[in-house]
This record gives sequence, structure tokens and C-alpha cells, in this order.
Amino acid sequence: MKVLMSKFNNVLNGRPSAREDFLRIKQIVNGVGKTEIIELDFEGVEVLSPSYADELLTSLKNVYGSEKISIHNTSSGVSETFKALDIKL
Amino acid sequence: MGKCQCDWIDPWSIGLVALKAIEFKVAEKRKVIWPSNLKVLAYLKRMHLPNILQEIGYQNQPTSPFLSANEDESPNLQELFHSLFRDNFQARLSSKIKVMFQTFGLNEEDQSVATALVGELGNNVFDHNEGAWPTDVRGAIVVGQHNPLHRQIEIVVADPGIGFLGSMQVAKPGLKSDIEAIEYGLSGVTGRVGESRGNGLRIVQGWAIDRFQGAVRIHSGEGLVVVDADGRRPRRVPRVTGTLASVMVKYQQETP
Repeated sequence: MKVLMSKFNNVLNGRPSAREDFLRIKQIVNGVGKTEIIELDFEGVEVLSPSYADELLTSLKNVYGSEKISIHNTSSGVSETFKALDIKL
Repeated sequence: MGKCQCDWIDPWSIGLVALKAIEFKVAEKRKVIWPSNLKVLAYLKRMHLPNILQEIGYQNQPTSPFLSANEDESPNLQELFHSLFRDNFQARLSSKIKVMFQTFGLNEEDQSVATALVGELGNNVFDHNEGAWPTDVRGAIVVGQHNPLHRQIEIVVADPGIGFLGSMQVAKPGLKSDIEAIEYGLSGVTGRVGESRGNGLRIVQGWAIDRFQGAVRIHSGEGLVVVDADGRRPRRVPRVTGTLASVMVKYQQETP
């Protein structure tokens, strides 16, 4: 199931925003996350802060497992954040 | 404020002036004495420092020196924002700060990383001070200065908060000084009580030094720590209420 991250904001910053967006993603994904891969699509996201990325991915992985989360369409700037966090794309 | 004959002022000093102004705002005989140099006045006018000082409690201070100073028309060189709340900061990160880096001439990738970097510094301000601001002035003061001649940009985030020691001593009571607390924070541990997070400052340093060949400077309480490619240099300095954090970004490409 694809989640368009730019629908949240094109500048994704801070843990409080990530916590809210995690709750919203849980609602969007609903039960599907147990069986399908959750594809986080970063097309159109211009800025991703490390704290947002860490909070969101840690929360999603805790609920669905890391094998169920995949990351797509990252700009080179957004990729730098994942690189800084040692998250493989 | 002391008498000022300066003919140059940088973003770090503007942040420092703002924090000292907040500290002295309750003093009975407080008075702002503006510099006499017209170029500095023009710069400060462009940076809206008089407005910021009015906003934080200096309503009845003279602004007459500024009448003769034309606002320096160089929006591609400097900016100053005071974000009172996290939501203000978040909105400005999207609408102003990224645009500021774009106007300063950074490429898309560098704009993205530099904006995330300022985002981390601003997040720390609110993460560590909400509910504990020592005075009635709150928020993050962000100052940006582009120096095209040296191809570098300095961003300063100043906050009149509880400082590194005030925040981190709760989670780590063994910290005895501001310098110790800053160094502890720079090592990547900035999580609050019960939190295992805290990579923000480590990543900020990595980006500033490795990616932008720049430096990180943090002044909190009476501690100052500068980190660059040559290592970390701590020093004891006159006390400030809150924290000043500065990141120097150097870039390679030509600006438009």
C-alpha cells in the first residue's frame, strides 16, 4: 500500500509532527499493514529532518516490522537524511 | 546595553544582543544605545532588530537613529525570524527558511540538507524548553547571513531557554558545567528523561563539517564549544541566558 508523504507536507520536520503523521498513517493503512508492504513515497518531499525520519520509521517498524516498510522516490536531499541515519533505501 | 561604536556586526552578535536584551528587559534602567555607524544601522534595520526588540519588551526605546538609515535592500544576504511557537517555526521552515537558502543560491540538494539542519536546531529549542522558559519571552530567533565573497552562510538559532545544562542535568545529574553539558549534547545524546533518541546534534555536526566544510558553535550559559574539522574546542565565556547555536555552511558552486 502506497502512502504519499507529500500529502503531509513537503517539509517534514520534528518528532511531534512525525508522531501525528504516524497515527494518521496507521489510520490510512488500517489493517492492510499486517499483510501488505507499506510503501512510503517521498515524491515531492523537499526536506526531511533526521528527527522526523527517525521518529516515523521507528514507530512504523515497531508496529508493522521493518520488513513491511519500504521507502521510494527520495530526492537526493531527502536521501542524505536517510544516509545520515544509516537507513538503507 | 553598552555604548556601541561598532562598524561591523555578524549574526552571532545579533543573536547575542537579542538574548542579552531578554535578560535585561526587567532591569529598571534598561536602555538600548544603537550604533552610530549608518551602515550598521541600515543592516540592523534590514534584519528588523528594532522590531524584534520592541516585540520582546523594549517598546519605549528610541528608534530615531533608524530614520536616517535606509534599510539595506539585500534580501539575498540576510534574514531574521522570531518564532514564538513550534508551529510558527515549522511554518517558517517551509515558507521562509528553505526559500532563504534558495535565495542565497544553494542547489536543491544543499537547500534540502541545510533546511533540515536548521530544522534540527529549531526542534531542540522547543523540545527542551517548553514549559520551562525562564522569562516571559519564548521561542527561537533565527538569523541567517550569506557572505557570497567567501561562499559561506552562517545560521544562528538563539533561544532564551534553560540551556544545555538546565535541560540535560535532569536526565544526567552528573553533569557539572555548561561546557560538560554542551559536549555531552554534541556527542549525540540529547534525549530527555526516558528517551533513547538524540542523534540530532551529531548529524548537524556531521553535515556542517563533512558536507559543508563548515563549523558548529554553541554558547550556552557560560560555556562555548566550537567544532570544526580541527576538532572540538571548549572555552568558558561570559554567561548568557539560554543558548546560541551557529552553523557555518560553505558551498562550492557559483550563486546566480
